[in-house]
Amino acid sequence: MSILNRLRLTAHLDDAGLTAIWTDAAASGVRQQHPHLENCAVCRTRFAELSSWLDTLQSEATTEADEAFPPERLAAQHAQIFRRLEAAERPARVIAFPKFAQPLTSRTSHASRWVAAAAAAGLIVGVGVGQLMDLRHSLSDRPSTTQARVAPASARGLEPRLQSISATRDEAFLSELDASLSRPAVPELRAIDAFTPRADDRSR
Amino acid sequence: MTGAQAAGFTGREADSGAASAVKGLQAEGRHAEARERYAELVGRHQRRASRIAFHYMRDMAEADEAVQDAFVKAYSHLASFREELPFEVWFTRILINGCLDRIKARTRRERWIAPMPDGPAGERDFGERVAGNDPSPEEQLLARERRERLARALSKLPERQRSVFMLSHYEGCTSREVSVVTGLNESTVRVHLFRAIRKLRTLLGEGQAQGTKVEKRRVHS
Repeated sequence: MSILNRLRLTAHLDDAGLTAIWTDAAASGVRQQHPHLENCAVCRTRFAELSSWLDTLQSEATTEADEAFPPERLAAQHAQIFRRLEAAERPARVIAFPKFAQPLTSRTSHASRWVAAAAAAGLIVGVGVGQLMDLRHSLSDRPSTTQARVAPASARGLEPRLQSISATRDEAFLSELDASLSRPAVPELRAIDAFTPRADDRSR
Repeated sequence: MTGAQAAGFTGREADSGAASAVKGLQAEGRHAEARERYAELVGRHQRRASRIAFHYMRDMAEADEAVQDAFVKAYSHLASFREELPFEVWFTRILINGCLDRIKARTRRERWIAPMPDGPAGERDFGERVAGNDPSPEEQLLARERRERLARALSKLPERQRSVFMLSHYEGCTSREVSVVTGLNESTVRVHLFRAIRKLRTLLGEGQAQGTKVEKRRVHS
C-alpha cells in the first residue's frame, strides 16, 4: 500500500467526505462499506451520527405529511378524483335556451306591472281632470276676479290722497290751536292771560 | 436484492400492467372499467403523492388539489404513457410539475395580495386531527418547531437541490429515477444531493446553535 493511500486511510474524513459517502450510498440505493470507515471508529461514529440525523429528517417529514393526510382525508381525496374523472368523461350536455320558459317571478312581475300602469294612468287622468276643472272655474269666475283685481288697485290709488287730506287737516288744526294759544280770543280774559306764566317763558 | 427492492419491482410490474390495461380499456371506450382499473393505481400511489405534494406546497388544501390534478391529468394523458418507463416515475414527474406551477402561481398571487394571518403552514385544520395516543403538548410543540425549522431550511434550498433531496431522501428514489423525474444527469443529481445535504447541515446547525444560545441566555437570566 502506498504512503498516500495509507495517509488517506489514517486521516479522519471531514464532513464533506462523510456526506459524499452517504450521498453515493443513497444515490445507488446500496449501502457500501468505505475502507476508511471500516478501520476508523471515530469516523464511523461521525458517519453514524450523520446518517441518524438524516434519518431523523426523513422520519420527521414523513410523519408530518402522514399527519396532514390521515386515511379519511385520503379516502375523500380518492372519491373526489373519481368524481372528477366521471365528470370529465360524461359528454357535455347542451342546455336549450329557455325561449318560452317563464321565469319564477313572472306572476309577481305581471301584477306589479299592472299596478304600476294603473297608478300611472290614474295620475295622468287626475292631472287632466284637475286642469279641466281649474279652467272651467277660471272661466266662470272671471268678473269677480277682475273686480277683486281692480279693487286693490283703486285702494292703492286712494291711500296717498287720504293720507294727504288727513295731514293737511292736522296741520290746520295745529296751527289753529297755536293761534288760539298765542292770542286770547276773549278780550275780557286778556289781562288774566298776560299775568299767567307759560312753559316757554320758564325755559327761557 | 433486498425484500423492499423486490417488492418495488413487483409493484412496478403491477403498475405497468394496470396502466397498460387502463390504456387499452380507454381505447375501447370502456370507461367505467378503465376507471375501476385506474383506482388500483391511485390507491397504490396516493399516499406517496400526497407526501410529495405536501413537502412542496406546505399547505394541505393546495397539496390535496395538486394530487387530484395530477391523477386526473395522468388518466387523461395515459395514451402518451410509455411502458418502458415506470408509471411511478412518469406520474411523479406530472405531480412535481403541477406543484411547481402552483408554487409559481402562489408567488405571483402573494406579490399582489397581502397574506392572511394564519397559523403555521399546514396547521389550518389542526383541530381535524384525531386525538389518540398523541405525545404530550410539549413534545408536540417541539416537534412542530423542528419541522418548521426543517421546512424553512428546505425552502432556502434552490429548487433543483430541493427536488433532488426530497425525491432521493424522503421518497427513497435512486439517482437514476431522480434523473428521469427531474431531467438531470445522474452525476448532476448526486452533486445536487451532496450540496443540498451540506447546505441543510449548515442551515439547521446554525439554527440549532442559535437555539442553544437562546436557551443558555434564558438559563443565565
